[in-house]
Amino acid sequence: MEDARGGEEENSMFETSHVLGALLASSPLLARAWDRCVAAADAAGGGGGGASPGFVHDGGEEGGSVYVAFSGVQAALSAAAAGCGADLFNPVGLRGDAAAARLFAPLVAAEPEDPAGGEPVAVQALALRGFLRLCGSPEFQMLLNQIRGKAVVFTGHSLGGAIAALVALHYLCTSSSSSTFAPAPPVLCVTFGSPLLGNDTLNRAILRERWAGNFCHVVSQHDVVPRLLFCPLNAVPAHIIIGMQLHQLPVRARRAAGVVATVTACMADTNQEALRQLIQEHAGAAAIEQKLATQETQGRSPYRPFGAYVLCSPGGAACVDNPTAAVQMLYATFAARCAPETGAASPEAAHSCYGELVLSIPQHLLLKRRLGATAITPAVSNYDAGISLALEASGITVEVMEAAPARQWLKTSKRAGQSPSLNCASLARRLGRITPCRAQIEWYKAAFDTNTGYYDAFKQRLSPKKFAKANMYRIKLGQFWDGVLSMLDTSQLPHDFHRRAKWVNAAHFYQLLVEPLDIADYHRSNLHRTRGSYIIHGRERRYELFDKWWKQRGFTGIATGDTSASTAARRSKFAGLTQDPCFWARVEEAREQTESAKSERNATVLAMMLECLHKFECHSSELVESKDVSIDVVAPQSSYSLWVKEWNELKLREEVRTILFQFQS
Amino acid sequence: MNEHYGFVIAVVVPATAHEGEGSKLLLPNNGHGQYYHQTTPILPINSVLKRKKKIQTLHLHTGAESTVNTPPPPTSKLAATPLKTMPAAAALSDDDRLVVAHCAALSFPTSPPSSSSFQVHHASHPYPCAAFAFPPSWSAGGGGWAASASPGAGAFGDAKVDPSLFPSLRSVGSGVPARANAAFLAAFRALLDGSPLQSEVSRAVAEEKRIIFTGHSSGGSIATLAAIWFLETCTRRGSVNQAHPFCVTFGAPLVGDNTFNHAVRREGWSQCILNFVVPLDIIPRIPLTPLASVTEGIQAVLDWLSPHTPNFSPSGVPLIITQFYENLLRSTLSIASYEACSFMGCTSSILGTLTSFIELSPYRPCGTYLFMTSSEQLAVLTNSDAVLQLLFYCLQLDPQQQLCDAAERSLSAHWQYEPIKQSMTQEIVCVDYLGVISSTLPGRQMSSTTVGGLDVSKEAMLSLSAAGQWEKQRETNQAKIDGANCTKIREALKSLNEYKRTCELHEVSYYDSFKLQREVHDFNANVSRLELAGLWDEIVEMLRKRELPDGFEGRQDWVNLGTLYRRLVEPLDIANYYRHSKNEDTGSYLSKGRPRRYKYTQEWHEQLQRISFGSSLESCFWAMAEELQAEIANGKTFEDVRDRVVKLENDAHGWFLSGCLGKDIFLSRSSFVMWWKTLPEKHRSASCIAKLVPW
Repeated sequence: MEDARGGEEENSMFETSHVLGALLASSPLLARAWDRCVAAADAAGGGGGGASPGFVHDGGEEGGSVYVAFSGVQAALSAAAAGCGADLFNPVGLRGDAAAARLFAPLVAAEPEDPAGGEPVAVQALALRGFLRLCGSPEFQMLLNQIRGKAVVFTGHSLGGAIAALVALHYLCTSSSSSTFAPAPPVLCVTFGSPLLGNDTLNRAILRERWAGNFCHVVSQHDVVPRLLFCPLNAVPAHIIIGMQLHQLPVRARRAAGVVATVTACMADTNQEALRQLIQEHAGAAAIEQKLATQETQGRSPYRPFGAYVLCSPGGAACVDNPTAAVQMLYATFAARCAPETGAASPEAAHSCYGELVLSIPQHLLLKRRLGATAITPAVSNYDAGISLALEASGITVEVMEAAPARQWLKTSKRAGQSPSLNCASLARRLGRITPCRAQIEWYKAAFDTNTGYYDAFKQRLSPKKFAKANMYRIKLGQFWDGVLSMLDTSQLPHDFHRRAKWVNAAHFYQLLVEPLDIADYHRSNLHRTRGSYIIHGRERRYELFDKWWKQRGFTGIATGDTSASTAARRSKFAGLTQDPCFWARVEEAREQTESAKSERNATVLAMMLECLHKFECHSSELVESKDVSIDVVAPQSSYSLWVKEWNELKLREEVRTILFQFQS
Repeated sequence: MNEHYGFVIAVVVPATAHEGEGSKLLLPNNGHGQYYHQTTPILPINSVLKRKKKIQTLHLHTGAESTVNTPPPPTSKLAATPLKTMPAAAALSDDDRLVVAHCAALSFPTSPPSSSSFQVHHASHPYPCAAFAFPPSWSAGGGGWAASASPGAGAFGDAKVDPSLFPSLRSVGSGVPARANAAFLAAFRALLDGSPLQSEVSRAVAEEKRIIFTGHSSGGSIATLAAIWFLETCTRRGSVNQAHPFCVTFGAPLVGDNTFNHAVRREGWSQCILNFVVPLDIIPRIPLTPLASVTEGIQAVLDWLSPHTPNFSPSGVPLIITQFYENLLRSTLSIASYEACSFMGCTSSILGTLTSFIELSPYRPCGTYLFMTSSEQLAVLTNSDAVLQLLFYCLQLDPQQQLCDAAERSLSAHWQYEPIKQSMTQEIVCVDYLGVISSTLPGRQMSSTTVGGLDVSKEAMLSLSAAGQWEKQRETNQAKIDGANCTKIREALKSLNEYKRTCELHEVSYYDSFKLQREVHDFNANVSRLELAGLWDEIVEMLRKRELPDGFEGRQDWVNLGTLYRRLVEPLDIANYYRHSKNEDTGSYLSKGRPRRYKYTQEWHEQLQRISFGSSLESCFWAMAEELQAEIANGKTFEDVRDRVVKLENDAHGWFLSGCLGKDIFLSRSSFVMWWKTLPEKHRSASCIAKLVPW
């Protein structure tokens, strides 16, 4: 049943990961980035380590892109000197480190407040240390100033790539929080054979900030380094990663540093087959876990990929941007050992083959490959044929065992990539259909604007027919928005959904219009006595979220123009809707307090009450004066008008006047 | 409501005694110096001129050849089906063949070419025509291929087209102008200004001859520009009787960008432009490489190809050409992969980032492409996406082939067009290439890759299928809009029209009634307004994502519906805007608050009617009136705004007389009338609308 439906869909579907890979490989981008990586390694090795800033940069003239390449040599040297402890690759929470928390503020700030929300954003210690050392150097700060406003490619090989990714993240953090409204200049981070950098929370934070498209990790088929950190922390052979990095050093520099010799010796001892088994086992476990979507927390590695992964074989490249698919493809390509001659290549060679790859792939893509034998297989769908090409580009031939699961994984990832935007489109249509309900409530509001206001009318169920209708529309709208939120919670919607102007505006308008009715309902059924104050205990989750969206709205245009204009020019008449969604709850509280203040004998308690009331008076009269409230608030029979009357009466009392006098002075 | 615009009277006048000659459409003048634009798409030459003759088509499933009778020509020339349903140019009529052979003879003269900038050749067979042939240029810099330091030129030597020469070459709605090769634009401009081209064309038009433009190599690109210029002038003048020019190019480099191609298709001109390409020819692809790095390479290629230089057809190609060739292959692969990602529905977010770091050529194929796969076969493609894919995949190398040999073959292919002089007059089979590919089971991979004489890889077949699928998808989307959405829009408009009339019965403008929102029918009108907004926003969103066919925005029925919608409903949006005083939050309606759905529909109308952009703002009358009222209320004196008041009055007067603006604004209780009466007496008595305002 499901297969049939899937087949129907597949007719119009095409696999694109190898096409995207062809785009990347055919452009000079990767080769240029690699050249800079080599230059950075040379600079780090040749300069004896200490004098070099750890990066090289060039380009940027006449509007071209700047390339900044980072070297991981220094980090590796210091790690080797410290004896390659396993703690080098421990995850470090960004929030916990004061310097890091400042440098990556937007990533950390968006983290859920309560610790139960999941693990905090964390990155591996060695890369972070390397990055923090860079940040301290004046050369690096100068570089950041130089490249500001230009298109930048950050790049690095091995550990250098992990550092480059941190620099790119930092750069994105600073340019997103800068106050300029000009669109942020494009940033791309290209890593070659870099170890995994952060945990799944980091991946999610990057998705939320819409930065996943800025990272491109190039991985060759048999490279162990990008896959090593799938191993549990206690099993990570840290010296392998360090040794691989140091292997890049020119021989004369290697001799100079004694520690290098020990590490390389240590590496030579490692059983290559055992290493391969180790990686295959844990990467495989990670891939399966992604498929089952179960989280085995015990003993698993915290590291997960983020951004797009370009899986390279000499014959082509396939680019997958779904982190789940990235894990699975990292495993499948590694496990698919088909050609014995490439499989036998040493891990060192597999880790440093990127220079040849960036040259050979484009040349290979220009050739017309003829699949004489396999082409005979009758009537494969376009989609399946595309997947075969994608698998082949990433180095998995159709015959090997891993081809079947990899095929399935690519299909799943394709669906996952498509569904959020499709859902969003259908939701937009449903919003169009639900909007008349909102108009009905606007109409209901207008009917009472001149006498009691729609808040009190709803609370007192004035004109029952109208009330019943309005109540029905209120419930319908609530259901619609709850549905939206549940889709968002189960990540069926685009990750930046709550940043899109259309939805933030629609949710805000809905909230301003309908929340007063929910407040009325709450107070009519006396829930404020049984449950407690509406603002703290009674608010629906949707309103709290919408409030947050509205406050955090980052999109340019309407929102920014709105606030600046409203502070500059005062409204000439009352706003269409009261701008404080909880205004009526505050009025209700004020009325209660006024009532109890009338009979309050205890002077201290009275003073406290009056202070609250005085604050509310300031708040509300300011809103009314700036006309930030709707006309219904000042309707003659509205609760607010009644409260103003009661409050003014109360203020006439001698003892009240004296206490209030103290606040004013 | 006076909604009479948009009909067409057509008179068919046979130009000669020949059956099926170019038809003449005479269009009525509406009395305001404005011509109505012809509704039927310009008929492609092969359907207009098709006679009852046997032509050959290839039977695609069996691969066997058979002869079939073409259906008899339609009895009325105006009953032509829309372009999209026509069997694409899969078959050239006999007359077309003669013309193409004729063009080939002109483009490849046997005698050494003269040095003039173009040649005119008059012929009477198969029908009276004047052919303009443009010679190729063989110099890369200095007005040949790459404009040297022209202002605003992009990395690929592209520049905005001059809107006064090519007013239609823009994307209506967003208003983005098309871009084209700056050097070709400049060369064409020089031809217009400095050669007798214009007068020769006018003379041929006066003699009621059919105009044909042709050229080899860069001459073909100039011919394309000339044909579009000619179509622009004819349709602007309203004299469409001659507007079936025919443009035949041989191995012409790409001229314009995607907007260029989109506009040409929207106007229905793409079938007048036939581009013949030898599959391996290097020249059409040259604009796909970034200019900065390869100017010497281009010059080397041109030197090698040029008949004037002594080293023509030496043995082997110099190294610089081989390097350039590899560069060209890679750039072509980049752009083909990029486009394939788009129409294959790639959702990867890295695609957007990459466009900032990879130089991607803006040029796209435009018009109908005929790949000369052999002397017996032509593979015909009208799908621009598919043509772009073929431009790369035809060049894909055989693994055994040396790069320099491939480069040499590709270069010499540029001089392999001459046989067309003979083969056209013999039986040559045209294959609707994409049609063949997509005629196999939906979603299934083609088993044979050699259909139509083109031998391409598996990737190529996938890309081509996807391009065909995407075209179909766009048609499906359009069909959906044509069905359900259209009905809903009409119903809602009907109820709003009812609303407007009811208000007018009470001597109230529906604008004022809506702004007050006192009655139930005001509320109901608001619901209709919201429904309509949803429906139109969806259409605009689809257009912006290019999910509808290129011709959609040029369709008379939708343009009319859009205009109807805009004139009736935009006042309600304005009323809503000023009712909520959004001008105080955000700014005036016209500058900040106008929804895209009205901007788009206005531009559709202006494009179809060939009137200047921004001239039909009648639906925003109330917004302008509101702004003036607000300014005077805020303390400005009448003298401050006098000029704008006078302009608004003049505009309103014109719009009212032409029926674009309803009579409701001049009702006695209209807020505009009441405000107008507060203006100084002296001004009012001299005003052009004084007679329209009731006392």
